Amino acid sequence: MTDQNMNAIERLATVKEERMKAKLGKRYAKEKRFRAYGVASIVIGLCFLAMLLGTIFTAGWSTFYATEIRLTVTYDADAIGVSDLNDESQLMFADWGALVKNAMKERFPYVSGRSDRRAMYSLVSSVAEYDLKDRLEANPELLGTTEEVWLMADDEIDALMKGQVDMSVPENERRISDLQNSLVESLIESGELKKSFNTTFFTNGDSREPEQAGIRGAMLGSFFTLLVTLALSFPIGVAAAIYLEEFAPKNRLTEIIEVNINNLAAVPSIVFGLLGLAVFINVFHLPRSAPVVGGLVLTLMTLPTIIISSRSAIKAVPPSIREAALGLGASKVQMVMHHVLPLAMPGMLTGTIIGMAQALGETAPLLMIGMVAFIADIPSGPLDSATVLPVQIFLWSDLPERAFVAKTSGAIMVLLGFLAAMNLLAVYLRKKFETRW
Amino acid sequence: MTTLAKDSMEAVFEGWTSTVGKPTMDSDVRMSTRNVDVHYGDKQAIYGVDLDIGKNEVLAMIGPSGCGKSTFLRTLNRMNDTIDICRITGDIILDGDNIYDKHMDVVNLRARVGMVFQKPNPFPKSIYDNVAYGPKIHGLVTRRAELDEVVETALRKASIWDEVKDRLDQPATGLSGGQQQRLCIARTIAVSPEVILMDEPCSALDPIATARIEELIAELSENYTIAIVTHSMQQAARVSHRTAYFHLGRLIEVGKTDKIFTAPEHKLTEDYITGRFG
Ligand SMILES: Nc1ncnc2c1ncn2[C@@H]1O[C@H](COP(=O)(O)OP(=O)(O)OP(=O)(O)O)[C@@H](O)[C@H]1O
Ligand SMILES: [Mg+2]
Repeated sequence: MTDQNMNAIERLATVKEERMKAKLGKRYAKEKRFRAYGVASIVIGLCFLAMLLGTIFTAGWSTFYATEIRLTVTYDADAIGVSDLNDESQLMFADWGALVKNAMKERFPYVSGRSDRRAMYSLVSSVAEYDLKDRLEANPELLGTTEEVWLMADDEIDALMKGQVDMSVPENERRISDLQNSLVESLIESGELKKSFNTTFFTNGDSREPEQAGIRGAMLGSFFTLLVTLALSFPIGVAAAIYLEEFAPKNRLTEIIEVNINNLAAVPSIVFGLLGLAVFINVFHLPRSAPVVGGLVLTLMTLPTIIISSRSAIKAVPPSIREAALGLGASKVQMVMHHVLPLAMPGMLTGTIIGMAQALGETAPLLMIGMVAFIADIPSGPLDSATVLPVQIFLWSDLPERAFVAKTSGAIMVLLGFLAAMNLLAVYLRKKFETRW
Repeated sequence: MTTLAKDSMEAVFEGWTSTVGKPTMDSDVRMSTRNVDVHYGDKQAIYGVDLDIGKNEVLAMIGPSGCGKSTFLRTLNRMNDTIDICRITGDIILDGDNIYDKHMDVVNLRARVGMVFQKPNPFPKSIYDNVAYGPKIHGLVTRRAELDEVVETALRKASIWDEVKDRLDQPATGLSGGQQQRLCIARTIAVSPEVILMDEPCSALDPIATARIEELIAELSENYTIAIVTHSMQQAARVSHRTAYFHLGRLIEVGKTDKIFTAPEHKLTEDYITGRFG
């Protein structure tokens, strides 16, 4: 038996070189092919990403600047019908629109006739008069004076300026008349029309008027929602992970818990929304549409992610460190707090941030708890009604006005920006904690 | 070892009665074990071990791989408590107290019976913090100056002070393997234990580092009781006063080290130290 084996091996030695050479070519070919597959899949992936970002950016970048028109406004008390700015009853019936209309009439005295005048007025956003109202209320001494102000243009004019209106089609089939077009041209010539960075987009809440609609409300809504989620899911998730890894006895019960946590991670998020609706709103009567409830629901959703990643971070701490601590007489809690937790922290933070990023992009469960309502006010706390970025995107994507198409993409860009920032933060934190030793 | 060989080995123990030599002592006993059995689940790893360890004594434990040396050593400071399936019966007495007694606090016990592991396992913290950790958690020092002094003394006793005194705030993981192991010894000494358990402390070290640790053990035995597990016969012969030979969970023979290595009484001991077995 042994003899035969030896002979076989000796025989091998004579043909070894030749056979290995033959094999070598095959192996190289295989490795080359494998690398080609890898490169191909990455290229395909990058193509899709580029396509996605490309469409979003081309559709969305125009939303970051807006068209404004300069008007010489006279704060005429008679025109508004207000003589005393502190008199509530006067303010109630004030005609702020007259300010804009008068200014327009003055600028284009040659426009006459009702319908032409109306077309002229609509160059300026229909909500611009409220900007003037706010300005006058903040500076009452302006009453009776004249000044130049930049007012927001109507969204159709904005679209025209962004080259989104085809002026070659017959006049009655487009939303900008020839008169409006000629007025715009004369405004451009005299420098009374400009494009500027669209701060409104970042300072306003949602609005029915596309030129007035902003994402501040949704951003703050997302912020408060995530704040609640983080404040709940991080401590609960980490504590659960530590207990399960370090303290819980290994028995049937903990096994069942473990399996269930893994299952929860795979539950469709809308189910958590239904749960939130049934429990937090119907049983506990928490306010609808509020970031607290959104935060609670997203906590349920992110907890499994955080627990699972925290557990694997804890598992990755070498057992020798635990033995060293216990061998010195550290109690179990001391061992965990002094040694395991600091070493597991980067992994836990990474998991948490990934969970948060998921929560930031989550839409479905929030629809269930009423965060899909139209809310123009900017929330000032987690108890105020609010919507969140992805839901805002969903809402805008449904609206017919052309400007909302760009807004939708603009909001997506903002959301992607936040996601990228969070992931960078995760990478940074991991690097920072890891390079300490 | 094949199952067949193992079974025949079990057969050797059919008529096994008791340890050869003198496992107990008449005076100056630091730790003693009586009739200690250890089970991992259904599997028994230690069979009725009676053994005394004297004050200022270095006891070497030798035996083939898997015979239960580490298991036995770890019962002496209850490190086996961390293994769920491990069950221990019998008495283990430290200075008159049964360490498995309900009233015995394992934190205090481990401050009295320290342990050095096979692979150096410094904390990923500074050299200073490694040594200071034990005194800190046990509240042994009240002032920073006192702690500094304790750290320096421990590092000096572990004969590593000169190498690290200028870099106390640097990570301990940056030290060489031998330095790390001496640091771990310093860390153990810093809580001023009565007994130090060492499980193959030199197996990851080169001969020079090993020689330094062995010198250290000789010095430490003036103040401490040391139980050391080793696979090196020469090391056991060099550092220990008494040697215990384990085989398949039984304590086969105990005696003065020079006697065990020159005139072993039991056949298994003789086979092992002459290299016919293990
Ligand atoms: N955690 C454990 N769970 C189950 N069985 C174990 C465990 N630790 C050790 N054993 C078993 O107990 C027996 C003794 O193991 P131990 O580690 O004490 O041997 P050892 O003498 O230290 O060996 P070595 O010289 O290789 O370190 C072995 O059969 C081993 O398989
Ligand atoms: Mg061992």
